[in-house]
Amino acid sequence: MKVHLRVFVEIENLGKAMNALTDAGITGFYILEYKGMSPQDWEGFVIKEDPKSTIGLIRDYAKEAVLVCCVVDEDKVDSIVESVQKSLEGEKYTILEVPIRRIIVSYGGSKKKTDEKAEPWLLEKEVPCFYCGEKAVQRIRIEKNKSKIWCTNCGASRYYTLRTTENPGED
Amino acid sequence: MVVKPWMLEKSARCHSCGDATVHEIQVDEYDLQISCRECGFRRYYTFTMVEVPEK
Repeated sequence: MKVHLRVFVEIENLGKAMNALTDAGITGFYILEYKGMSPQDWEGFVIKEDPKSTIGLIRDYAKEAVLVCCVVDEDKVDSIVESVQKSLEGEKYTILEVPIRRIIVSYGGSKKKTDEKAEPWLLEKEVPCFYCGEKAVQRIRIEKNKSKIWCTNCGASRYYTLRTTENPGED
Repeated sequence: MVVKPWMLEKSARCHSCGDATVHEIQVDEYDLQISCRECGFRRYYTFTMVEVPEK
């Protein structure tokens, strides 16, 4: 599954956040500049309902901040978040992880990229290992023609090879 | 040691219909089966070998 990672940072920390995200291996991003107030700053405020007061309040109290967004694989999220947390230690920031149900991309009539090499799928399951018997994370790597499952505790691996495919749509 | 079948899910682009869909993955001791929830395309993998750590 893909995850929409949203990192809210104060504008002076944008560079730090971007470096941390890049070091952790993000491949693309977009940013949105905004003015915002954190809940603790906002607490106790009751704004007058005329536009002038509202705009004045935003100008006077809201801080300039940036939202950095990127789409990443679910299994990479933890290491990316860890990298950002390490880099922004002691600073104010908020990170949201939003699961993505579906991605639809239109290439607007231009040719689709040809480097569409199928990426291997990586999954994990925490169960007792078939070899050492310890309850540990078992990693599963599935490629087009082969698959491997290995224990992160003892390293014992099982290998599988593609035998056949079945496509009900071709019947 | 008998391994109980694992039932897993993975959102990925289907090799057959090309859509980003959910795939159901069943891992057994001797077989691994993947099926696309959208188009029903299935891939069957068979166990070939095991590699154990040196003691």
